[in-house]
Amino acid sequence: MAARIRLPLLLPRSFPPFRSLKHVHTEAAVKEPQYPPIVVSLTAKSKSARLRLNEERIKMISSSPVEEKLSLITRNQRMKFVVYPQTFSRNPDRWYQHFTKTAYIPGLPEKFNPGSEGSQSAADQPAAPEIDGAAFNEIRDLVTRVILHEHWHKTRKRKPFLYKHQELVIGPFLKTLVSDLTYSLAKYNPLLRLSSLDLSPQVNFYWRRGKRIIPKGHRRGRQEPTRFQIDDHPHSQIRIPQQLPQFAPLEASYTAEVPEIHLAPNVMPLFRRQYDNNIFTGTKLPDPACYGHTQFHLVPDRYHRDRLARQQHSDQVEPFLRANATASLFAWTGAQAMYQGFWDYQDVTRPFVSQAVITDGHFFSFFCYQLNTLALSVETDANNPRKNLLWGTESLRLYEGVQDGAVVGLDDGVLRLLVQFLMNRPHS
Amino acid sequence: MIPEATRYLKATVSLFSPNIFLNASKLSAHGAPSSLQTRRNLRVSHCLAAKVPPPKKPREKVEIPGLEMVTYGDRMHYVPGLAKPVYPPWEMSFKDPRYYRSPPAQEMALYKDKPCYIFNQRTSILEGVRQAAWLTKTQVSPGLLPHLISLAAKPENQLPDQDERVQNAIKHSRFWDTTEPRPRKERYSNTLLLNLLHLCASLQPTHPAVGRRILAENYSLAATWKRGEDLFQIRGRNGLLHCSMDPLPRICGEQEVLETSDWVLESFYPVSPTIDLQQVSVYKEEMNYTGESPPGFPEMELSWSSSNHLSPIGSGFRGEYPYPHAHTLYFLETSDPNCKLRPEQFRAKMIMFTFGNALARAHKLYGTQPQSLLECPITVQAVGTNGRIFQFLVFQLNTTDLSGDDGIKNQAWLDEDVELYDFAKVRPFIKRKEVKVPAGLAGYKPETFSKFLALYLHGAA
Repeated sequence: MAARIRLPLLLPRSFPPFRSLKHVHTEAAVKEPQYPPIVVSLTAKSKSARLRLNEERIKMISSSPVEEKLSLITRNQRMKFVVYPQTFSRNPDRWYQHFTKTAYIPGLPEKFNPGSEGSQSAADQPAAPEIDGAAFNEIRDLVTRVILHEHWHKTRKRKPFLYKHQELVIGPFLKTLVSDLTYSLAKYNPLLRLSSLDLSPQVNFYWRRGKRIIPKGHRRGRQEPTRFQIDDHPHSQIRIPQQLPQFAPLEASYTAEVPEIHLAPNVMPLFRRQYDNNIFTGTKLPDPACYGHTQFHLVPDRYHRDRLARQQHSDQVEPFLRANATASLFAWTGAQAMYQGFWDYQDVTRPFVSQAVITDGHFFSFFCYQLNTLALSVETDANNPRKNLLWGTESLRLYEGVQDGAVVGLDDGVLRLLVQFLMNRPHS
Repeated sequence: MIPEATRYLKATVSLFSPNIFLNASKLSAHGAPSSLQTRRNLRVSHCLAAKVPPPKKPREKVEIPGLEMVTYGDRMHYVPGLAKPVYPPWEMSFKDPRYYRSPPAQEMALYKDKPCYIFNQRTSILEGVRQAAWLTKTQVSPGLLPHLISLAAKPENQLPDQDERVQNAIKHSRFWDTTEPRPRKERYSNTLLLNLLHLCASLQPTHPAVGRRILAENYSLAATWKRGEDLFQIRGRNGLLHCSMDPLPRICGEQEVLETSDWVLESFYPVSPTIDLQQVSVYKEEMNYTGESPPGFPEMELSWSSSNHLSPIGSGFRGEYPYPHAHTLYFLETSDPNCKLRPEQFRAKMIMFTFGNALARAHKLYGTQPQSLLECPITVQAVGTNGRIFQFLVFQLNTTDLSGDDGIKNQAWLDEDVELYDFAKVRPFIKRKEVKVPAGLAGYKPETFSKFLALYLHGAA
């Protein structure tokens, strides 16, 4: 009976007092959670619900197959900055490096330097023959023939119309040069035999970087990520089924410097539009040749160095080329990485590498790009030490001119660089 | 005033006059409102329809030679009763290309009484291959010769993983080339041809002779020949041309060439063989030109460089052109809506242009005098496609003596309507809830690419 026990006024912690003594030397039993974890609501109109929605969305995207991933990332259309690789803005290279988190390193990686060429060729497998003097002479003859075919043998009734010179004269020349060089070098680089050559392809990329506070409107005061889209049309590109090897290890990019610009992008000037967000390497997902090798770009007449010299903007020639290389190659490598399933929240585990040659017919500039990180949005970039790297040369003249049916001043160094670019292949 | 300008002025006056009649839709063929069409006056408040009065015929002017008309020209104003002064037509003292009127054909420097019939890249001839054969004095045989097809059957002339790579090339051109669901027809046919050429050219490491060729775009052609009483010319800019440093070997032996003289050309009386050809009276004779002209340059018929036998340099090119022999021509369907060629006419165009290339080369080598039998017949190939169906042609020029209908003929082997694949659908074709054609590439035929490769490697393997 309950009334018979006389309970003290203060009940001890363990009641009855001595019964629990036999459990003193054992560990406390693990308590299984009897209820599911209490998480923030998904549908409430609150900031934490918004955060949880974002997390769920990120989890859903990360776990879906690549095609669905791409369509989920590019589904919503909003106002975004359209980045043109070939732009009239002043000093666009610093702006584009800031948008794409790219560090510029003058010169080319050690692979392409003449000093280390010997060690490079020694490490190559003996399956493909090397380019010796005789082979290089053949290539030089081929390039001479292509230059003469375009500039000497072809008779033209009158000069091309305004702003059509590059498209009508240099375009076909570059196309013949690229295709003929690719086929001749296929003997020495077996990867080129499996490659795909695209003429006038399309390359698109969509990403977010930075944020701004919306100044006006019903969403005023809220934060909005800045969206960018590149729609590039290179002259031609070579795509391969295997990935090119990296130029520098991922960790080497931690110390590189990326220019920081604290102005809003529309100051550059850059304009906003809203349309389909596309991520495209030049071909759709099912294509086996999904990795990029080399892109070739043509400098349009509007940005030709002669015209810039007439307007006293000769100092803008190199920044223009660097900006073109940064934007085009970032878009291409980024799209290649996204085709492999990497995105903002699942950063690349291996660097993606591509090359580009930008030319106006006489002057050639060579660029190499290594994509080390895709995590450029505000949340993912907070603790991201990786940076993308761009190596590039100044403009180098391939030949002086054509006189009396002969090419004057053909530069062997430039030709050698071009050949080395096309010979780049993974060590198997 | 310039007649064109007066016409425009009348049109603008009629637009801006206060009593506007909606004449635009009621104009007859010669631009004046005909009296049978009712003129509707919808902007006025009186009667809404009225008959247009018939045009007034001006009074006949009688000219009596020797009689000087008294005009009001001196008075500087109209005087009733005096004649209207007639002044000589005013011409500008300097040359302005915006206001240049070309003289009538009879006054041009190159005018000739005898007309010339010109075949250009937009010509669509009525009788198709038969007419082309008659014009070029050719015996057309169906099907390619077996020794050509067997060229691609050899294992060393095949690509590694050939079927898979060709199917990838077709899928790339038909499905994967653009961000939209499917690329447009002219884009995919162009991409398919370039992809197939890229695959063939990747055989260059094993066949070094392939490196002695160059692909030329927007290739201009001019060739002249006489057939019976009439003069014919081919002028035009067709698509791709593969030029080579070495000529193609002859396809047919001497005996068969001599046997062609027994074969009779197919006639299509009462249709004239010159039907659908452009008839011009102003032309340059002896035009034999094979050269390059970049796109965007208008085809000026009369102002090319001097003809073959006059200039020591050579037709169309400066200096020694390293790739003088035409190897293969590639024809694509043009995107021009005015010039849609049916398959028969497309094949005829292929024959004519191949013949033109061979003839220009023959004139260069052997001179423009007609030769009844060439010691070394000239062989040129052609491939035409619309993105799915291919036409293969091999042409051998045996003779340049084309005036009579008898004698040795040229030979052509034409493989018509060879399909590369049956269907390449982005979405499956479903009829009555049954999938008739699945999505993707269906019905791939590997023999077509073997023929393509055989024609590509001919002369190099």
